[in-house]
Amino acid sequence: MRYKNLRSSLVLTFFLFFLILPLSQILAQDDTLPPPPPTEVKAGDTPNDNGHSITITWKLSGDDGAGKKNVVAYEILRSESPTGEFVVRGMVPAGNNTYQDRGAKEKEDKNYFPPHKDFYYKVRAKTLNSYSESGVAGPAVAYGQWFHIGKLPVFVGTLAFTIMVLAFISLARKGKEFYVRPLAGIDAVDDAIGRATEMGRPILYILGLGSAADIATIASFTILNRIAKKTAEHKTKIIVPCNDPIVMSVAQETVKAGYLDAGRPDMYKEENIFYLTSMQFAYVAAVNGIMLREKTATNFYLGKFYAESLILAETGSVAGSIQISGTDELAQIPFFVAATDFTLIGEELYAASAYLGREPLLLGALKAQDLAKAIVMLSLALGALAASFHFGFFLKLFTVQM
Amino acid sequence: METIGIWIAALLTLGIFSFLYKDNPFYKFCESLFVGISAGYWFVTTFWQVFMPKLADNLVAGRFYYMIGAIFGVLMLLRLFPKIGWLSRWSLALVVGTTAGLYFTRYLVSNGMVQVQNTIIPLYVKGNLSQTIGNLVIVIGTFSGLIYFFFSKEHKGAFGGLAKLGIWILMLSFGASFGYTVMSRMSLLIGRMDYLLGTWLGLIH
Amino acid sequence: MNFLEKLLALDRRIIFLFIAIAVALPLFFTVKLHIEVTPVVRNLHNAMEALPPGSKVLVSLDYDPGSMPELQPMAESFFRYCFMRDLKIIIIGLWPNGPIQANSALEVILNEPDIKKKNPKYGIDYVNLGYTAGNEVVIERMGSDIPVTFPKDYSGNKTEDLPLMKGVKNFNNIDFVYNLSAGYPGTVEWVLFGVDPYKIKLGAGNTAVQAPQIYPYLNSGQLVGLLGGMKGGAEFEIATGKPAKAVKFMFSQSVSHALICFFILIGNFAYFATRKKKGA
Repeated sequence: MRYKNLRSSLVLTFFLFFLILPLSQILAQDDTLPPPPPTEVKAGDTPNDNGHSITITWKLSGDDGAGKKNVVAYEILRSESPTGEFVVRGMVPAGNNTYQDRGAKEKEDKNYFPPHKDFYYKVRAKTLNSYSESGVAGPAVAYGQWFHIGKLPVFVGTLAFTIMVLAFISLARKGKEFYVRPLAGIDAVDDAIGRATEMGRPILYILGLGSAADIATIASFTILNRIAKKTAEHKTKIIVPCNDPIVMSVAQETVKAGYLDAGRPDMYKEENIFYLTSMQFAYVAAVNGIMLREKTATNFYLGKFYAESLILAETGSVAGSIQISGTDELAQIPFFVAATDFTLIGEELYAASAYLGREPLLLGALKAQDLAKAIVMLSLALGALAASFHFGFFLKLFTVQM
Repeated sequence: METIGIWIAALLTLGIFSFLYKDNPFYKFCESLFVGISAGYWFVTTFWQVFMPKLADNLVAGRFYYMIGAIFGVLMLLRLFPKIGWLSRWSLALVVGTTAGLYFTRYLVSNGMVQVQNTIIPLYVKGNLSQTIGNLVIVIGTFSGLIYFFFSKEHKGAFGGLAKLGIWILMLSFGASFGYTVMSRMSLLIGRMDYLLGTWLGLIH
Repeated sequence: MNFLEKLLALDRRIIFLFIAIAVALPLFFTVKLHIEVTPVVRNLHNAMEALPPGSKVLVSLDYDPGSMPELQPMAESFFRYCFMRDLKIIIIGLWPNGPIQANSALEVILNEPDIKKKNPKYGIDYVNLGYTAGNEVVIERMGSDIPVTFPKDYSGNKTEDLPLMKGVKNFNNIDFVYNLSAGYPGTVEWVLFGVDPYKIKLGAGNTAVQAPQIYPYLNSGQLVGLLGGMKGGAEFEIATGKPAKAVKFMFSQSVSHALICFFILIGNFAYFATRKKKGA
């Protein structure tokens, strides 16, 4: 009897051992068991887009970054009905709880994403060897928005600036006097023209290498008009070699208008405003030749300049001319500052054209820019102070989501 | 053929460099050659890389609306004829208007709002002296630079003092820019020297 | 005239001669200079290192032979790095000469023994889509449709037939954009029309003239990293572990800069000394 009991015990022990051992090993293999599924799956239209995208969000699986920590990725599946066939639309690594399902807007494209159509989504949490799926979320419909809320600061900024410009131009047209601070380079213009008159030598005016559509060239035309008027009054020759044929024709009209304003149309000579070449360094070589041959008393470099700026300024310096320069090309400003007598830095060139021309359009635009600058300065000052005390309000005002 | 090309390039380089000593006929020849070849090259490039693919190919493919662009291009050239020159204003208006529209919001965002956003930084960072100093420099430098370019008030008193600080900071940046440009010019000279001494004369490897 | 006045009146041709010697002489010597990799270059390198093999990199070469000494070494070192890391290269140009410069750089790199072993194939590992006119509008258009913007490659093959371009519709299918720029259109336009609207990851190499204007975009995070001038190119070569042309030229650059600093110092000394004397 005792042996029978012993044998039974041994059989039972062996049986349990060979049952429990693999079972425990199976239980110890975490990856074969599915992880907890993602929950709170929500699918909805992607905001601020053209209507060909749906955004899916979910709560991470319990084994993602916690628990068994064996979730490696999430797959996003889509179907056109809650009970229909679900196809994989994309995958994101573990730790991510959002996905944007998007496609093409053209119907002919194989990846076309139709708007105004119901879609249903599931999210699958995957380990190396298993997965679990969430419940079905939906229906979600993609549709386009007329207005991109994320770009509201841009809209407000554009609207505000446009209103400011129009308001100031309107005020200027009504005759309101606007103060523009004196600019050193412009104050020197009259002296420079007087010097040329005394020496009996001509004035050289370079409009730069820009086209007639460049702002710097347009600003330069206004200053040229004013200088042409002065040279007509002083009976001093002005030479305007041009780099662009269109610029030349505008320059001719500008100088002619200046002579007309001075009451000396007979003194205008069209051959003094001429086209040289459009090639950068060939133009510079020719202008250098003019400087040295004509021995110009005053050189004006106002417009768009590139690498030739220093060559021009150096040659003018060697020829003994007074030089007044101005450009909005940041890389060339240091050269003009170093090699010329007076420099209009960047925006000062535009301000100079408003200062000299006193045209309502230019003055109004300048005033609007100043107001915009004042708003920016105030925002910077207050924003930096607020940031020092960890208030993020000002930062939000300038944050744009494109 | 390659050897001939290298010799031509080297001799032309030396010809242009000869201007550093004195203006001379060799330099004038090299310069005229450069001007002529550049003009011809640009014409050919513009014809085959712009005119043909952008206009001719599209017209041949039946996209006749590209003629609108071509007409505006021709109108631009009418500037050269005084009697009908006013027609070019339409083309100019289209170019200026499109550029302004394309650029306005881009500049406002990239060069305006993003830059302001990144200048709204704390003036004091606890436990980090170097960052505090850096932040102060950025904020004060930007602020005073803007003051300098404010044209509605004369630079007098405290305002003038800030404007003066602004121009000093601008000059520092111009100095750095100048230095960078000198580096760029030296790099170009090094490239040419490497060509002359290495590729042409084979003295360096 | 005393010595200082003579110094101020020095014929500039003598200065030119000194500069020529300062540039040429160091080219005969191989001197290993310690080149510190600055954070702006390191950030670019780190961003590239984070790209897994097979990633698509769009390279826009926006320069001409006038900027070759500075930008060509950057193009070569970048292509070398991409091939070694099995990154796929899509070349375009906003300047007409850009794609030609790319081919020159590829010619050099594809003949290197390490790259030859990799045997990169055109159409699979790299493509050259050529140049298209339009400047910044090209970037804008690529945001919607790259194959429509570049319907044919540099050699006239249809873009849609190239294996590498399969599945590449717009910037969403590009992992990184690298721009080599000498002016307009260039890095500024890529930031304005590519980074902010389409959120592309952009790294840039610029001529030293342009680099100061690009720094604001670095500080604001619109640019991942920047190679500024030949020095930036040398730093990138050091960071990738393959010193090449840019590193070789650094000795020449350093000597010429030292000479210029010396001239500036003695010139200013002479100027202020003679002014003081005249004042007295």
